[in-house]
Amino acid sequence: MDDHDPPVLMAVSSSARQLYLLLRCIAFSPKAHVQIDEGGLRLSVDEAGVMEASVLLDKSMFTTYTFNAPSPSRGSQVADSDDDEDEELEPSTTAPTFQISLPALVETLQIFGLTDPATSKTSWQQNTSYGAPSTSFASSNIFGGMNNLCRITYSILGAPLSVVLTEASIRTQCDLTTYEPEYTGGILFNREDLALKVIMRGSRFHDAVQELSSTSPETLTMIAKTAKGKPFFALSSSGTLGSARVEFNNTPRQPSVYRTPAPTNRAAANADGNGTPADQPLENLLETFLFSDPGTVLRSKYNFSRIQKATRAMSVATKVSIRIDAQGVLCLSFMIEVEGGGSGVAASTAAAAAGEGSPKHSFVDFWFVPQLDEDEDGDDGEGGDIDETMMQSGGEGSDMGEDEDDDILS
Amino acid sequence: MVVLNFTLTPEAASKIHDLLVCLGKFNDTVAIEARRERFTFTALHPAKSAYAAVTLHGKEFFTNYECVPSHGGPDGRFTCSMYTKALLSVFKGRLFDPLGRDGAIDRCEVSVQERENETQCRFIVKMVCNQGVIKTYKLTYEAVDVMHALFDRSLAKNRWSMHSGAMKEYIEYFGTKTEKLDISAGEDGRCVFKSYTEKIMNGKDILKHPLVTAVAVNTTDFDDFSVQAGLHIVINVKDFKAIVVHADTLKTSLKALYSQPIRPLQFSYGCDGLLCEFTLATSGDYAAAPPTPTPAPQALSSRNTSRAPSTVVEREETRSFRSDMPPPAQPASRRDGSGRLRNPGSRQASSVAQAPPVHHNSESLFVAEDEDETWAPLDYEKEETLGWDASANHDASAFPTFKDSGNMSRTSTSDSNQVFEPTQRVSQIKGLW
Repeated sequence: MDDHDPPVLMAVSSSARQLYLLLRCIAFSPKAHVQIDEGGLRLSVDEAGVMEASVLLDKSMFTTYTFNAPSPSRGSQVADSDDDEDEELEPSTTAPTFQISLPALVETLQIFGLTDPATSKTSWQQNTSYGAPSTSFASSNIFGGMNNLCRITYSILGAPLSVVLTEASIRTQCDLTTYEPEYTGGILFNREDLALKVIMRGSRFHDAVQELSSTSPETLTMIAKTAKGKPFFALSSSGTLGSARVEFNNTPRQPSVYRTPAPTNRAAANADGNGTPADQPLENLLETFLFSDPGTVLRSKYNFSRIQKATRAMSVATKVSIRIDAQGVLCLSFMIEVEGGGSGVAASTAAAAAGEGSPKHSFVDFWFVPQLDEDEDGDDGEGGDIDETMMQSGGEGSDMGEDEDDDILS
Repeated sequence: MVVLNFTLTPEAASKIHDLLVCLGKFNDTVAIEARRERFTFTALHPAKSAYAAVTLHGKEFFTNYECVPSHGGPDGRFTCSMYTKALLSVFKGRLFDPLGRDGAIDRCEVSVQERENETQCRFIVKMVCNQGVIKTYKLTYEAVDVMHALFDRSLAKNRWSMHSGAMKEYIEYFGTKTEKLDISAGEDGRCVFKSYTEKIMNGKDILKHPLVTAVAVNTTDFDDFSVQAGLHIVINVKDFKAIVVHADTLKTSLKALYSQPIRPLQFSYGCDGLLCEFTLATSGDYAAAPPTPTPAPQALSSRNTSRAPSTVVEREETRSFRSDMPPPAQPASRRDGSGRLRNPGSRQASSVAQAPPVHHNSESLFVAEDEDETWAPLDYEKEETLGWDASANHDASAFPTFKDSGNMSRTSTSDSNQVFEPTQRVSQIKGLW
């Protein structure tokens, strides 16, 4: 009887690699909630109710994406349970929700990554007519073998999620057990009432977090303020060996006097090096800086090890949007460039494939609940001290950012 | 209150990274000594077999250098020690990037916060990167007294120097797990660098890593070579490699100075206001003049005695020179007819028998009667007592007999055969052998 109904989901992607790269960003939890609707598949994971992450596999990432809302009668029991959870997102209650094992899904998607990239790629490029954008994968040896057809099927409510990977003559079918969704409260993030919004390059944020990790800290403090109309954003942490702090100022810097003089014999090399960055147009470090209350200093603390779980997303993201709402809840949205899967017809010709292969953006979101200052005095002392030393050690040669720093705090 | 502020160019910060990597191979902490005109990083091997000092000249190396120690007047100094790892996490590699890519810095400002009105003492490093990123690190440090190894250059008659690039090619031939390096000057106009491993007695594991590599270099390839022919001197390969690799980052000539085995050896090199000096304990054949073609691998835990009555083989573990005590004299009663004692467990008995190696401890690494002003300690009350700490480094404590004599005065080591007569303790345990 079920066979006559079209499957709830039937999605085909020409590249399992894209899916793999995105899902890997949130692969820190054993179970993921999957929610299927017209727009795509949304996978979300949470940890202890204080951290959440979600990624949307947009329908544009698939060459074919067919979603048939399950008829309420057939899946009434399951749909009822969905009601509670997804009411705010999908009032129609037709979006099926279930849990699957995320590590299993990620491993499934890289099954062909384990095969020899050279041979699998060659056979793919020569023998198949799917015409996936081969140039996209030419540079990647590791994932070269994952350039293959991936079909994700979810036939009816309660059925396993079936992933079929086809490469040349090899066809692998993996049925992943689906579980009843658990009720999770979710982290309430009020995007209408933001205290801070910063957009910057993902690599800079990644670099800063890596920098702080050298102190093996427990907490990460985000500090934001507006100093004389100029934005100031800093990440700081402290551990047993000391503390570290990375500040971002939007002050475009003049080429430093320290790079030009010739205190050493290798002045020539130094001077050469100096020319190059100066020629580059100065980009604004903080592309967006919206601060709701410019008169104050925002100081918000988060668990560092949880933030670190987003490292993988940071490392591949082109841009990151850092939003903190009035309650201190942090939302990190990483913009990741992916190659579109394109439509089935278009992808069949090489030219169209090249066009479809142009970067599209996918977003991976993380939410973090802030840590509250239990020990107000100690924290203030610590935090204040960081700024204090900046003030004192800044000295004569200090730059604009620091001077403003002092003014604000003193 | 201490004032210590200095500024580094990206290139200089990158050199700090290089030198920290090198010093990190000697100890996991690095000591800092700041004076009015110069700044010194030192590292002392835990076994006190090697001492490394990198001196940065205030005016030449730094863009800006200011140091006013809290006391001591013009000769005062500020000393502290920190984890090398912590400093390395601040002074990362690739700080200097001519293309100004991510990670490259614009300048580096360092200051020390040690004030009476503050609860925290911190070593503050501020990396000012391009485009408005500032990374500030505040590291904890420990106030320590910095010790310096003394090296008497006037006694070091043997010297050679060679470009570090060439030397780096040679060290690549040394086995990765070899321990000792024998530097010998032949009479045929060649100098041989031989890396080998001593026999290790660890339960039934005897003779690990028997790889021996000898690199013979024509003395004409040296920039300068003046070594007594036939002299062998033995140092640790690991130390030597660390030194050569670092010297190669500076592309300078590596100079070696030494007098004789068991006396310290010093490597030095430097350029652009950076001077590196490594003082290493050595072993080898004390009676060096008779050329021994191949100094036998030192038999560990054997009680080889030399024909010279004043010396005794110390048990040397991988790097732990039993240098915390002077070698007691060899009681004549322990010597058998062949002039050496039974060598338990030695499978290299033949070579050992031919040339019983003589190993001294290297108490002399810290020479008391030092005339070298560079290394002359400032405060003689404190510093002249820089002998080996008798209580430390007893990892080779399997021989408590010798430990009993560990606190003997260092001044007597120069002629130990006179001072240390055969002791009752040793003769008491004669039965053990």
